[in-house]
Amino acid sequence: MRHVLAACIIAALAAGLVAVTANEFYLRILFSACVYLLCALGMNVLLGYAGQKSLGQAGLFGAGAYSVALLTTSLDMNPWLALVLAVAISAVFGVLIAAPSLRVRGPALAMVTLAFGIVVEKVVTEASDVFGGAMGIYAIKPLTIGGVPLSMAQWVWLGIALCLGIHLLLRNLLTGRFGRAFLSLQADEIAAGAVGVPVLRFKVLAFVIAAATCGLAGALVAQQNQYINSDFITFNLSIFILLVVLFGGSGSLVGPLLGAVTLTLLSAVLARWSWIERFANGALLLFALYAMPKGLAGVLSGVFGKIAGPKAAAEIRPPADVPLPTRPAIVVDGPLLQADDVCKSYGGVRPAHNIGARLMPGDIHALIGPNGAGKSTLINMLSGVVRADAGRIAFLGADLKHATMHAICHRGIARTFQNLRLFRELSVLDNVLLGQHARMSNGFLSSLFGLPRARREEARARQRAGAILDFLGLSHLAEAPAGSLAYGLQRRVELARALATEPRLLLLDEPAAGLNPQETAELGDLLLRVRAQGITILLVEHHMDLVMRISDHVIVLDYGEKISEGTPALVQSDPRVMAAYLGTDVEEMAPASSHAVAGLA
Amino acid sequence: MLATWLQALVSGLAIGGVYALIALSFSITFTTTKTLNFSQGEFIGVGAFLGVAVLYLLSGQDEGAALAPGASAGFNYPLAAIAVGAAVGVIGILLFITAVRPFAGKPGMSWVMSTIGFGIILQSIGLAIWGPAPVNLPSPFGDDVIRIAGAGVRPQEILVLVVAIVLMIGLDLLLRRTRMGKAMRAVANNPSVAALMGINVSAVMIGAFALSSALAGIGGLLVAPIASASIFMGLGIALKAFSGAIVGGLDNPRGCIFGGFALGLLEASVALWQAQWREIVIFLLIILVLAIRPQGLFGARTLDKV
Repeated sequence: MRHVLAACIIAALAAGLVAVTANEFYLRILFSACVYLLCALGMNVLLGYAGQKSLGQAGLFGAGAYSVALLTTSLDMNPWLALVLAVAISAVFGVLIAAPSLRVRGPALAMVTLAFGIVVEKVVTEASDVFGGAMGIYAIKPLTIGGVPLSMAQWVWLGIALCLGIHLLLRNLLTGRFGRAFLSLQADEIAAGAVGVPVLRFKVLAFVIAAATCGLAGALVAQQNQYINSDFITFNLSIFILLVVLFGGSGSLVGPLLGAVTLTLLSAVLARWSWIERFANGALLLFALYAMPKGLAGVLSGVFGKIAGPKAAAEIRPPADVPLPTRPAIVVDGPLLQADDVCKSYGGVRPAHNIGARLMPGDIHALIGPNGAGKSTLINMLSGVVRADAGRIAFLGADLKHATMHAICHRGIARTFQNLRLFRELSVLDNVLLGQHARMSNGFLSSLFGLPRARREEARARQRAGAILDFLGLSHLAEAPAGSLAYGLQRRVELARALATEPRLLLLDEPAAGLNPQETAELGDLLLRVRAQGITILLVEHHMDLVMRISDHVIVLDYGEKISEGTPALVQSDPRVMAAYLGTDVEEMAPASSHAVAGLA
Repeated sequence: MLATWLQALVSGLAIGGVYALIALSFSITFTTTKTLNFSQGEFIGVGAFLGVAVLYLLSGQDEGAALAPGASAGFNYPLAAIAVGAAVGVIGILLFITAVRPFAGKPGMSWVMSTIGFGIILQSIGLAIWGPAPVNLPSPFGDDVIRIAGAGVRPQEILVLVVAIVLMIGLDLLLRRTRMGKAMRAVANNPSVAALMGINVSAVMIGAFALSSALAGIGGLLVAPIASASIFMGLGIALKAFSGAIVGGLDNPRGCIFGGFALGLLEASVALWQAQWREIVIFLLIILVLAIRPQGLFGARTLDKV
C-alpha cells in the first residue's frame, strides 16, 4: 500500500508541476519523459525480469506510431479508438518478434531483434507510398476531449496518468506469480520448465507487454505531434530505450522512472551538442554496466536501504512434523509410471536401450549403476528434458512421450538436478513459491488487476511454501538468496522447490552428492518422511548404504540397459550387478551382461 | 541481360568479400571468447576515416580540399591499410579491456550492451573529429569502369575481392596450420583447459579482438571507395556480415566466409529487382533462417547438459 501511495504522490507532484508551468519547452520535456517511461516500463518486464535482450524496440514504437497515423488519416478513425487499436497492433508485432526468440538464443537473438528494428525502419523509409518515407504522414488526428484537441498540459497529464496506471498494473503482475515466472526464465529456462513454468508462453508474454507499451508510446508521440516520419524510428531509439532501463535499474520497479527522468533531462541539456549527447549515452551505457550493474535504483537502495542484519545461522533446524501440501489422494491400480522399451542415443553413444520400468505408488525406487549407465538420461526422459527416441512412458495411464516439461510437472512429476539448478539470485522462499507456480490458478488478468482471486492464491501459495519449509527445517532461511547457502542446504532447497509442485512422483538425481555422512543419513530419514506423505520417489544415487536402507525397489542400469531389478537384498546378491560394479571374471557371468563386464575390464 | 547479371555477380562477390571478411572477424572473437563486438559497424566507419586521414598525410594534401584522385596510388593505399589495421587493432584491444573482459563469461550477456556503448562513444568521437558528412576516398586503380563482356566493373570491386580472398586464405592457414592458430582453437574449445596446458588465454583473447577489429578497419578502407566513406556506413555492413556469420554458423570460420559471400550475392540479385528492398528482404530472410535453424546452416548444435 505504501508503494501505491508513493507512486500516486509522485504522479500528483508531477501533475502539479505541469499546472504551474506555462513554458511549452518544459512541458515537452516532461512529455518526452513520460513517453520514454512508458517504453521503459514494458522493456523492464522483458529485459529486467524475463532477461531477454531486445535491440529492436524502435520497430515496435514505429508499429504503434504508424498504426495510429494510418488509422486516423486513411481510415478516418476516431483518435481514441485508433490509439487502442495501435496498442493492439503493436502487441501483435510483439508476438512476431518473439517467435524467433523461442528457438534462437544468445547473440543470435540480439541479432534477430536488431534486424527486426532495421526492417521496420527500412520499410517505413522505402515504402513511401504507404508510409510517406522521410516526408512522413501529416494531419494525424490528435486525441480530443469534446471535440477539442488536448492542450500541451493535458497531453502531459495524460502521459503521467498512463505511466501511473501502467506502473501500478505491472507492479501487481510482477510482485506475484507472473513476476517470479519471468525471473525464473532469466535465471534458468530448464529449471523454470521443470517447476511448471510454460517457458515459451511466458517469453511471448514478456515480448508482448514490452511491445504494447512501446507501441502506446509511439502512438502518443504521433498523435501529439500530429506528424510522424521515418526519422523517428532509428536504431538509436532502440538503444536509448535499453539504456533507460539499464541505467535506471533493470529488474527494479522504480528503475524505469529514475532512468527515464534522468536521461530525458540529460538529453534536453545536451541536445545542443549532438556528439556530446551521443558520447554521454555511450559512456553511460558502458559505465552503468560496470559501476552500477543494478542501475540508479540499486545505488539508491544501497544508500537508503537497511543495513543487513547478522546472517541467519546457516544450519538445518530440526524439521517440524507438519503435513506437506499434496494433491488429493487417488487410488492407482498397478504402476504409477510405466516405461516400456525406452531408447535414446546421441550419435554412437546409447545411454538408453529398451529400458522398461514400473514405479509402484507409495514406494521409494532407486536407480543405480556405474557412471555412464544412463541413469540421468532416464530421469531426463521421464521429466521431459530430453525426448526418448522410441518407446512409451505412461504416467497414470497418459502418454508422456510428447509432453513438455511444464506439462509433465502439471501432471504431478517433479524433479531435482544432479548439478543443482536453483534460481540462485532469488530467495529460498521465492524458489519454493516458483515450485507452487503450477498449483496456482490466478491468470494474467486477475494478476494484472490484483483481483481478490490473485491475492487469495498468493496467500495460499505462501502458506503452503511455509509449510514445506517447516517440513524441511528451512524456514529460518526463507529470505536468504538461494545461491548464498552452503551446498548441502542448496540441495535441500531444491528438494523443497520440487515438493512445492505437489508431485505424485518425485525424481531425485543424486540428492546425496556432495553431502557428508551425517547429512546423507538425515536425507534418508527425510525421504522416508516424504514417502509417508504419499509421494512416490525415484532416486538416482551412488551412496549404496542410503539406497539399501530406504528403497523398496532397486533398478540397476549398465551401458543403457537394465541388468537387474528387485528388492535391495535381491539386487545386492545378483552376480550381474556385482560384475557391473566390481568387474568380476567374465566367464562366470550370465551371457546377457558379458559385454558390460568386458567394457569395464 | 547477361551483362547485367555478370555485373551483379561481380559487385555481389565484391561486397560479399567484405561481408565475409567482417563475418570472419565476428567468428574470430566469438570462437575464442564467446563474445563479439556489437559495434563492429562503428569500427568499419572509423577505419575508413582513419584511412582517409592517413592518405591525406601520405599525399601531403591539405585537410580542406577533397582527396585528389591519385592520393591512393602506389604504396599509399597499402600503407594506409597497414596503418588502419594497426590503429583499429589497438582500439579493439581497448574495447576488449573496457567493454568485454569485465562481462565475458558472466550470465546476462552484458557485453552486448557494453560493446554497443563503446561503439557509440567511438562514433561520437568520430563525429566530433570528422563530422557527419560523407567523404570521397579514391580507389588506388582509379574509378574508370572496366568493360568485361559488356558488364561495367569497377577496379576497386576486383581489388576488394582479391584482398578479401587473400586475407581469408591467410587467416584460414593461420588458424589451422600455426601454433598460434592451435592456441586460439584450444581457447575456443575450453579456456580453462587451455590455460592448464600453458596457453596464455588472456593474450589469445586480446589477440583475437585486435585481429577482429583490424579486419573491420581494413574492411572499411576497402569498401569506402565503392560507397562513400561515412561514419554511419558501418552499421548496415556489420549487420549483414553478422547475418552472414549467423547463417554460416558463428563457430565455423569457413561457414562464415560462405555466409558472407552468399549474402553479398543475394543482395546484388535482389538489387537487380528492387534496389530499395534489398535490406528488408535480406533481414527477413535471416530471421526466417534463424527461426528454422537456430544454429545457422553450418553451425554445430549445442547440447545443454542437464
